[in-house]
Amino acid sequence: MPVPIQPIPMWEQTCIEFGVILTGAIIVCGGALTYFRRVRMERPAVGTFNARDVVILLVVIGILPFVYGWLPIPLVTCLLILTFASALYIGYRPLVGSVGTWLGIGLLFGFNIWSSNHVMGTLPGWQLWFVEQGIVVALSAIAVCNLYLQGGMKLRHVAWLSLALAGYDVIFAAYYPLTGRLIARYLTHPLTPLLGIRLGYVDYAVGLGDLLVYSLFFVAAYKAYGARAATVAAGVIVVMGGLATAFIPFLFNFTNANLDELVPAQSLFGPAAFVTYLWMRRHYGRERTMAEYLASQSGAAAAPRAEQAPAPEPASV
Amino acid sequence: MFETGLRQFRLALSMVQGRRLDPRNVARLVDDVLATLAEFGEPGADAAELVDGPAANPQDRLEITNNSLRRTALRLAAQSPFYARHFSSAQVDPAKLDVAALRAVPVTVKADLIERPGDFRCTDVPAFLATRTTGTTGRPAEVWLSRYEMELWPALGALASVLRDELRPGDVMQVNISSRATAAMHLSANSCRLAGAGCRPLGIVPPEAALDSLAEGGATILLTCPSYLAELVTAARRAGMGAGDFRLRRLVVGGEVLSPSLAQAAVGTFGVSFVEDPYSMTEVAPVSGRSCSQAHQHYDLNLGYTELVGLDTGEPAAPGELGTLVITPYFPYRDCTPVFRYDTRDVARCLPDAPLRCELAGIPATSKILGKAEHVLRLPGGEVVTPRQLIEAIEALPAEPWPARFRAAACDGRIRLTLPAGAIAGYGEAEACRHFAAAGLDVDLDIVGDDQAASLRRTRSDLHEATFANQHALVGA
Repeated sequence: MPVPIQPIPMWEQTCIEFGVILTGAIIVCGGALTYFRRVRMERPAVGTFNARDVVILLVVIGILPFVYGWLPIPLVTCLLILTFASALYIGYRPLVGSVGTWLGIGLLFGFNIWSSNHVMGTLPGWQLWFVEQGIVVALSAIAVCNLYLQGGMKLRHVAWLSLALAGYDVIFAAYYPLTGRLIARYLTHPLTPLLGIRLGYVDYAVGLGDLLVYSLFFVAAYKAYGARAATVAAGVIVVMGGLATAFIPFLFNFTNANLDELVPAQSLFGPAAFVTYLWMRRHYGRERTMAEYLASQSGAAAAPRAEQAPAPEPASV
Repeated sequence: MFETGLRQFRLALSMVQGRRLDPRNVARLVDDVLATLAEFGEPGADAAELVDGPAANPQDRLEITNNSLRRTALRLAAQSPFYARHFSSAQVDPAKLDVAALRAVPVTVKADLIERPGDFRCTDVPAFLATRTTGTTGRPAEVWLSRYEMELWPALGALASVLRDELRPGDVMQVNISSRATAAMHLSANSCRLAGAGCRPLGIVPPEAALDSLAEGGATILLTCPSYLAELVTAARRAGMGAGDFRLRRLVVGGEVLSPSLAQAAVGTFGVSFVEDPYSMTEVAPVSGRSCSQAHQHYDLNLGYTELVGLDTGEPAAPGELGTLVITPYFPYRDCTPVFRYDTRDVARCLPDAPLRCELAGIPATSKILGKAEHVLRLPGGEVVTPRQLIEAIEALPAEPWPARFRAAACDGRIRLTLPAGAIAGYGEAEACRHFAAAGLDVDLDIVGDDQAASLRRTRSDLHEATFANQHALVGA
């Protein structure tokens, strides 16, 4: 006879959720920073991240949930496979080469799809599934964070993005609960963009988007102003991204008996991140460019380009 | 970043489809490159491919060339009265034209352009700006350019220049070429504008005025012709000026033969690491050539097709053979007064049939330009003497007679070389003959007074422009 699992007290659930967010943030932010310091991604000949790219990102972020909600589940899975595979390939090809990356992607995705269909229904099955999800989500967040930052995204852009996402989160989590519906619809399917754990009947998780924004803010602060600014950013992430997000339901008691509730994390973190950026700009001044950051790491000025060739030329007879 | 990708895609699509490019799109790409440089300090990987095109695969390159030639010929047959007749009389079907069949099209010569300039103009595009060749080798030709060309060329030039670090924001380019070279002046000024650099178009003013402007005006790039560079070097030495007086980081010359002696002197005087010596010509613009560290002249693959046609055979020059450059600028890069298989009469030597090992190895090349075909001397036994050989030997004389003033003719199997007395000052005729013999030139010297120097050989620096500040400039005008 199965042993019934009793709901644990809400403050315990809150602490577990805080632990999950903190663990996810530490893994992703730490991984992203390590990657940023050690690996140089290939970038296109021309192009750097700018304010219009932030707007384009926001438009895509705004449209995508509707597309996910409208498409049949198998197509959503295909779209997610494409998205995750692209992120992982771009991110890890410089580290393990093309063959290694595709092999890793194949194994991760294959196992994930298999476990989504075969091991769910038991607590260990859920745990295994969440661990796989977590690996894919963390690796993808680290890759995308570096893709943007090594592509020229600045702390300024991250701050504005966070602020805009705060509004987005309030609308789509509180007033028009599309995000919650999407999670409820897609949870248990392969490549659900969550990093979490199941304890008892309750899932404790943090979304890929949230982890990405935290890591962007943390590493962008490091790139812009150095380790001290990154420490300040980490504090904001822990307090506003982790602590406040986890404890808000408990403090305001706006949930039901368990914590099966979606908390719009960005609505708390976004304004805090933006204010922190304004403070940093006032305190530290202009952000470092990628060239200045790299020069500071190598202790030398950015290498001048060697090739010399003619410019606009005079006409001849 | 997303927008830049879209712009590059639009540019690539227009190039592949052979449609007119959007100059504003190219200009915005220049802004993107500047933003990239500001953030990263250098462009990303594959920047060279963006400028020079994908030169790696010869088969792809041949297909692109064939399509470009066909597209250009089809447009000319439909829009240019001259080429409608030209193709028809040669019984050439533009729709079937390719590299192999190209030789069936007779070359276009400068006389055609001078005699019937109106017939070359395409009927589907309004003319905007007329530019003239300087006429140092004869009657000037007039070439009309469209507004599209005048917007596109600076944008393409600026894009290539900022990617190659030839132009930077904050640079100041001083242009000392004839003010009547309107297209070149316009191109320089607008490339600078797009790159965020300053431009000072001065013209062929008295060298002292140009030197003052170079030194006090903080120019970082000097664009001129070799003969005027010679005047600048001489004037700078006379005034006791040296590398410490200038801020130049690039010195670019074109339009004439640059000798190693003059280049070396200019390097020492102006404090640059080397003198750049690209190839360009009004009639075939925007096709141009770049020199590499191994003294090859490499020709742009994307904007036009360059052939080296044997001087005597009219067939493609064999390795080691002298040939004249025949250039076809492609549509949509050349719009208003296009030419097809234009014989530039600029002579170069075909390189040995072996893979190139220079930094521009993927781009077709010849030797440096050796001079105009009309000035090549033919001696008994098939020996050929090029203007470059003579200029290099004369400018290497101890008197440093820059720019070289001379007249050369083949006479009884030997070279009769007329020089002004100043060229061999303090050196004696016998010693001078030995100097030329060491350079492989068996010459009989004919010495004339220095007052006749300018009449021996015209140079671009002779196109002096007067200023009120330097009335003595009128003497040379």
